Amino acid sequence: MLALLFILFAGLAIGCAVSMVVQRNPLYSAISLIGVFIALACLYVTLAAPFIAAVQVIVYAGAIMVLVVFVIMLLNVEDEERRPLRLRSLIPIAVMLAAALFAEAVFIIFFVQANPKTPAHTVSDIGMTSSIGGGLFTTYLLPFEITSILLLMAIVGAITLARTGGLLSPRAVVVPGAQVFAREMLDREKYIDDLTPVTTHSTEEAEKLLGLEHKDQSPKT
Amino acid sequence: MVPQLSWYLALSAVLFTIGVVGVMIKRNVISMFMCIELMLNAVNLTFVAFSSFFRDLSGQLFVFIVMTVAAAEAAVGLGIIIAVFRNRESLDVDDASSLKL
Repeated sequence: MLALLFILFAGLAIGCAVSMVVQRNPLYSAISLIGVFIALACLYVTLAAPFIAAVQVIVYAGAIMVLVVFVIMLLNVEDEERRPLRLRSLIPIAVMLAAALFAEAVFIIFFVQANPKTPAHTVSDIGMTSSIGGGLFTTYLLPFEITSILLLMAIVGAITLARTGGLLSPRAVVVPGAQVFAREMLDREKYIDDLTPVTTHSTEEAEKLLGLEHKDQSPKT
Repeated sequence: MVPQLSWYLALSAVLFTIGVVGVMIKRNVISMFMCIELMLNAVNLTFVAFSSFFRDLSGQLFVFIVMTVAAAEAAVGLGIIIAVFRNRESLDVDDASSLKL
C-alpha cells in the first residue's frame, strides 16, 4: 500500500518537475512546480511527518508560489524563445561524465551493504507538531532565533529592493507650504541619485527650477 | 512491500538533478528561481526521509529552517528580479551581464 502511494506520488513529482523544466511559459512552470510541492507534501505524510507536510503546503505551495505567480503576472513575462545550443563540442564529455556518475550511483545502491540496523518504519511521535515544537524551543532555540533575524533582514531587504526609488532622502524635511524637490529631479546629468531636497516656496519658482514652461499662458489679473 | 530509504533518496536525487538541469538550460530569471526552489525541496525530502527512518527529530527541524530560508530567499530574490526588470526591461539572464569580464 505504502509502496503504491510512493510510486504514485513519486511519479507525480517527477512528471511535474520535468514538465516544469520543459515548459517555455513561466506561468505553466509555476503551476507544475506547485504540483511537485503537493506531491512532496503527500510523500511527507507517508513518511509520518504531518507537520512538515502541512507547512510544505502552506508555505511553499501557498506563500512562496503565490509570490512567484504574482511577480510573473506583474512583469507580464513572455515565452522563452528557442536558442541554438552553445558549446556543442562538450556534449560527448558531458554524456561520459553523466554515465560515470550514474554507474557510481548504481554501484552504491546495489553493491554496498545496507546498514542492517536500519529501524523499521513504525509509529512514533517524531514528526508530530508537539515534538517539533519541543525540539524547536529547547535544543534548537539558537537556530530558531537566528532564523527570525534572517526573516527580518529579508523583509527589510525586499522592501529596499522593490520600492520605487524614493524621491527624497530619509533626512529630508518637508517645510509646510513649501514645494520640495530632490536635486536629481532638477538636474539628472549632474546629480545622479542625489536626493538632497531643494526647497521652493511658490509654483512659479518650482516651474523655473524644473525647466517647465506654462503651456496655457493665461495672464493673471 | 514497504518503501525503503533508498527509494526516497533516489527520488530526491532525480528531483535535484532536474532542478540543476533547469538552472542550466533556462534563460528566464524566474524559471531559474523556480528550479532552485525545486532543488531545495529535493534536499528537504532527503532530510525528512532520514529523519523518519532513523527516528531523529533533527532532520525535520532542519527542513523547517530550510523552508524559512527559502521564504526569505523568495522575498529578496523576487525583489531583485523586479529591480532588474525595472532597469533593463527584460528577464533574460543574458541581458544582465554587466558584471561579466
